[in-house]
Amino acid sequence: MDLWQLLLTLALAGSSDAFSGSEDSSKEPKFTKCRSPERETFSCHWTDEVHHGTKNLGPIQLFYTRRNTQEWTQEWKECPDYVSAGENSCYFNSSFTSIWIPYCIKLTSNGGTVDEKCFSVDEIVQPDPPIALNWTLLNVSLTGIHADIQVRWEAPRNADIQKGWMVLEYELQYKEVNETKWKMMDPILSTSVPVYSLKVDKEYEVRVRSKQRNSGNYGEFSEVLYVTLPQMNQFTCEEDFYFPWLLIIIFGIFGLTVMLFVFLFSKQQRIKMLILPPVPVPKIKGIDPDLLKEGKLEEVNTILAIHDSYKPEFHSDDSWVEFIELDIDEPDEKTEGSDTDRLLSSDHEKSHSNLGVKDGDSGRTSCCEPDILETDFNANDIHEGTSEVAQPQRLKGEADLLCLDQKNQNNSPYHDVCPATQQPSVIQAEKNKPQPLPTEGAESTHQAAHIQLSNPSSLANIDFYAQVSDITPAGSVVLSPGQKNKAGMSQCDMHPEMVSLCQENFLMDNAYFCEADAKKCIPVAPHIKVESHIQPSFNQEDIYITTESLTTAAGRPGTAEHVPGSEMPVPDYTSIHIVQSPQGLILNATALPLPDKEFLSSCGYVSTDQLNKIMP
Amino acid sequence: RVAPGSLLLLLVSNLLLCHSVAPLPICPGGAARCQVTLGDLFDRAVVLSHYIHNLSSEMFSEFDKRYTHGRGFITKAINSCHTSSLATPEDKEQAQQINQKDFLSLIVSILRSWNEPLYHLVTEVRGMQEAPEAILSKAVEIEEQTKRLLEGMELIVSQVHPETKENEIYPVWSGLPSLQMADEESRLSAYYNLLHCLRRDSHKIDNYLKLLKCRIIHNNNC
Repeated sequence: MDLWQLLLTLALAGSSDAFSGSEDSSKEPKFTKCRSPERETFSCHWTDEVHHGTKNLGPIQLFYTRRNTQEWTQEWKECPDYVSAGENSCYFNSSFTSIWIPYCIKLTSNGGTVDEKCFSVDEIVQPDPPIALNWTLLNVSLTGIHADIQVRWEAPRNADIQKGWMVLEYELQYKEVNETKWKMMDPILSTSVPVYSLKVDKEYEVRVRSKQRNSGNYGEFSEVLYVTLPQMNQFTCEEDFYFPWLLIIIFGIFGLTVMLFVFLFSKQQRIKMLILPPVPVPKIKGIDPDLLKEGKLEEVNTILAIHDSYKPEFHSDDSWVEFIELDIDEPDEKTEGSDTDRLLSSDHEKSHSNLGVKDGDSGRTSCCEPDILETDFNANDIHEGTSEVAQPQRLKGEADLLCLDQKNQNNSPYHDVCPATQQPSVIQAEKNKPQPLPTEGAESTHQAAHIQLSNPSSLANIDFYAQVSDITPAGSVVLSPGQKNKAGMSQCDMHPEMVSLCQENFLMDNAYFCEADAKKCIPVAPHIKVESHIQPSFNQEDIYITTESLTTAAGRPGTAEHVPGSEMPVPDYTSIHIVQSPQGLILNATALPLPDKEFLSSCGYVSTDQLNKIMP
Repeated sequence: RVAPGSLLLLLVSNLLLCHSVAPLPICPGGAARCQVTLGDLFDRAVVLSHYIHNLSSEMFSEFDKRYTHGRGFITKAINSCHTSSLATPEDKEQAQQINQKDFLSLIVSILRSWNEPLYHLVTEVRGMQEAPEAILSKAVEIEEQTKRLLEGMELIVSQVHPETKENEIYPVWSGLPSLQMADEESRLSAYYNLLHCLRRDSHKIDNYLKLLKCRIIHNNNC
């Protein structure tokens, strides 16, 4: 029993002690904060608890000391101002404030030290918040969704920035109004900063606080600045919806009126020409196609004589002419599709086919004979034998079509000009193919010549330009009928011997031609007598016969002698080696043997560079 | 009020705060050929002093954290710094009252007086067992930059007060023996004191230079 009582007493005593102790400890004043806002004054605050514990603490006092010169005086002085900083505070004005001198303060109550603290003023610097926050709009994004603003403020008034006593750095924070977390920006030394990418439709809050650089703590935040960005979206949307009907009507009427006037005051043709402009027609400068239509060869001669070395010898007996087989009996022969198809036996129809160059639209349409060149000049599949075989036939046909096609006169706006152009193709007679056409070669020469002679007027009807559609192995050129071919004239005039050169007639505007064609042509060196004439002027014009080969290779007579006995497939088009106007053209004969299969098969388009590679 | 030179200050100080970056010598060709303006000289000086103070603060913090934290050194070691004999302004009013020429001489004296302590600090820390690399590197850097700052200040003085006679009087530091004491406590206390003084003096120099810059260059309107 005694033991229990003892324990109980002890417990009670202990608890009472504990209570009293806690009360006492909770009532002791402590320093809460010392702060210097501008490094010129500072103040210290402490807690003040109402104490009604057993102990009577008495009035609280603050004593401070600071080290002067080299001595730690330990002389405690009482707080000079208990009032200015409020309750439970001590205010040290500037005369009591030294910067690089450490202070110690202590709080006493009833003579007993309650709390003590040592510091230097720089450590307790906490600037006032910045003032005069404002913002300006920098720009708005193109979408109108985001905007940038520039926030400006001023340093707190009591911080002496001007004299350099304080150097402050600032921290800006912002957030949307309904958010809880502030976004912080890095500390900056200047008093304005851009805030990027704020959403236009949201309202933002911005606040700034300052701190002395390198020491002290951040001060309080400034007042919150509310940023409401102007809602530009709505305006733009409204503008979008505003459809300018009036303007549309006015301009529509205006445009219609203009068009009406255009229609009224212009002929139909002109409009058609405006809308669908014709493909430029190859022509020689100074030569009027109409002149040729009229068939006045003398005038044409004189005109062509302007160009260098133009020999107005349309009617010369050259091999070109010789090999032309006229097929006058079939007026609509050209309408039956490819002449070469007709010339060739049916099984060879396709064989020859895709020689030459796909010439696109140029030239053909200008001749207004779209159906003439239905023959596939694609050099996709060139079969040497068959193609060669096909050559003469087709050439013949083309030549026929081109030069001595009186029947074409009605159809083509341009008259066939040159029968002689057909001849080169027919030189292919040496091909040794048991084709009706090649065998006719020799005869056709005469025939052609005969025809030519017999049809002097036909020359007038011959188109000024003729597209070479095929090349005989002999190097003669088969020209497409009904084509304007100014070089065709010269072709016609060429001596048959010159036809030997394989002519790779790469079409005018596009410098693409079949490699196979190019290759084929090179070794094919018909025994065309090379004339020394060169027609450089032709180079500049848009002619069907390619101008690349219009080189001054006057020294190609050797090739001319070469008899194309090989099974060289003759392409549809050969580059003109020499233009011997009016005799005709010497076409480049590729020196290569049968080109590689892939070369042949790759025939489609060959660039000029490739051609130059192929050609010797 | 942000002076135009503050941009330069900011830029250079940003560079400096990447600790390993040090500013170039102000006049590589020799002081005689220098044509730097006074404003630029002050800008450079402020940047240097700011840098040195940053380093000193960091060095002190690291030392304290590592060796003396929580051991009450601050109360014990608020001793005299060897520069305390100099009559340095302790608050703004005093700083405003001191005249320009004396102010500049004062700064130069403080800088000169720290040449030797810094040299010994580096030597001693380097010779320490387990020399703390962070502290050592900062000490080396501070020593280097203080020399540069001293050169710059001498240039400024020669421009602002060319007639000033070279005054070589400066407080002498005699704390080397205490740095080498056998007793670790005493030794640590000596280091603590030295670093504390260094931090304080570097802060003073930084502050004084900023005051002078605003006074001389910007006419009290920074």
